[in-house]
Amino acid sequence: MARDTVPVSVLYSSTGSYAAYGRDAAAGAMAAISEINADASLPFLLKARVSDPGGHAERYAQMAKEAAVQDGCRHIIGCITSWSRKDVLPVVERHDGQLWYAFPYEGYEANERVIYLGPCPNQHLLPLFGHVQPRFGNRAFFVGSNYIWGWEVSRIARELVEGDGGRVLSDRFVPLGSIEVDHLIREIATLKPGFVLTNLVGASAAAFIAAYGTFRAETPEAPPLVACNLTEIDLETLSPAARAGHIATSTYFHRLETPENRAFKARMLARHGQQRRLSAAFVAGYTGVSVLARAMVDAGTDEPAAIRKVVTSRAFETPLGALTIDARNQHAALVPHLALSDRDGAFDIFESAAAPIDADPYLVRSLPRVGPVVIGTPSLRVIK
Amino acid sequence: MNRKAPLSQIFSRAVILHRDHPSIDALRRQLELLHIEVVTVWPQLDEAHATADVVFFDADMGHDGQFPWPAGYAPMPMIALIGTEAPGRVQWALAQGSNAHLLKPIGSTGAYSALLIARHAWDMARSQADDIRALEDRLRQRPVVVRAVLKLIQSEGLDEAGAWKRMRRIAMDWSMSIEETAEAICRDERRLKGGL
Repeated sequence: MARDTVPVSVLYSSTGSYAAYGRDAAAGAMAAISEINADASLPFLLKARVSDPGGHAERYAQMAKEAAVQDGCRHIIGCITSWSRKDVLPVVERHDGQLWYAFPYEGYEANERVIYLGPCPNQHLLPLFGHVQPRFGNRAFFVGSNYIWGWEVSRIARELVEGDGGRVLSDRFVPLGSIEVDHLIREIATLKPGFVLTNLVGASAAAFIAAYGTFRAETPEAPPLVACNLTEIDLETLSPAARAGHIATSTYFHRLETPENRAFKARMLARHGQQRRLSAAFVAGYTGVSVLARAMVDAGTDEPAAIRKVVTSRAFETPLGALTIDARNQHAALVPHLALSDRDGAFDIFESAAAPIDADPYLVRSLPRVGPVVIGTPSLRVIK
Repeated sequence: MNRKAPLSQIFSRAVILHRDHPSIDALRRQLELLHIEVVTVWPQLDEAHATADVVFFDADMGHDGQFPWPAGYAPMPMIALIGTEAPGRVQWALAQGSNAHLLKPIGSTGAYSALLIARHAWDMARSQADDIRALEDRLRQRPVVVRAVLKLIQSEGLDEAGAWKRMRRIAMDWSMSIEETAEAICRDERRLKGGL
């Protein structure tokens, strides 16, 4: 029987300032598409329309629209930065589409037209700080890329540190793509924080970690780097010394020791070569496509409303383990892992959540309530 | 807001502080429909823009130092364009003195009510600031009033109620506030002496 062909858009930047994540994510999506198409028991074939916005946020909307209008793509597997996701939202809303977004982000969104497979702050920053604060004290140094991810993660982190009686010694931002980081290293050397939270992405992250490696070689007491978005990809191009000793949280690391991941790695390494190291970005693309395809089998259509209904009503086997998606906010319940990087640029997991943590994108259930919330800068005082 | 004034008289020039974006094209269409002249600027306003009747500004990529006035002291209503509802961004927009907001993506509605709400909130904030300033002045002058009452008691041989009555009469006769009258009494102004 002839199989229907269903077009899907794969929309990741495989060039530009965070190209390494985009290439891995696109490779993961394509690997899943190959598996689906090789499975003759499925009633459809997936046909990818691969677009590369080159890291320019403004190209995402245009390319998403072209995929919808020209090829009839209803599903977009794509976007890494929040900036690009925000620009794709109007397109999926207007063209009855669905975006499969699978990267860590800062939360404060729950759009019906998005399936969120990546962690939000109660699934990345909170577990990370639960480990870091008791061990490395409360004198923190933050550095991040100068856009919403860096700003908001740093703001929540500040709340955690100050809520615990600690101090943020410095809170620095670097333009997206910038590799000027020497001033940050000098400031860390002067301030001597207990730990450094980096929210840098792409080329900036690599440049900073490389410079930090040099600094650490001369400063044995240098504090640890901790991050919610540090992956095998970021460490790949660095020297063995610069790669080691960083603490990261993620829902996926190559060395994740679960039956699901062992089986997944065996299949992927057979395809991509035994040397291939899989990353959270690769798994992001892969998971989006494979959950979509299995939901299409159940729904008998790729119509987004039907897909949403299936996706939020059962569990899916994924490299991350059994995955469920909350019908209220369309975010996945996820198991965060904490891991330490080594000289090979891989991560050894030393702690994992005992069970999947439900997403709390607006942080309304996960933070301890502390008195009335002040919105904006209080400008009036009561003078007695 | 003066409800009788037509919108075109309240708002004839708008400045949009935002990068080129489909949402901004949609906002421009809405404003031009209301016969409002639109200028789009990024990344910074200069003093020439201070004469605009309203400023729409990007709350997502906005940062300190984009406005030629101190945060919260815009000489016109400000409307935040919000795409990311993260508290840090909303807080920043409020600190700039946002009087209303529009959520992105912007379609074909919303600007009209945002303009009315922003102008109303801005007028209210200004008149309340004026009231607060006047009340603070009066508060500052309270010791002068007490001194003036004491002075009248001593120099005129009045009791407290009589001194108050006298001061109120002088204030009425000379169309001054109690505080101004008290200051004049303390300064021993001749015209008041004549009136006493």
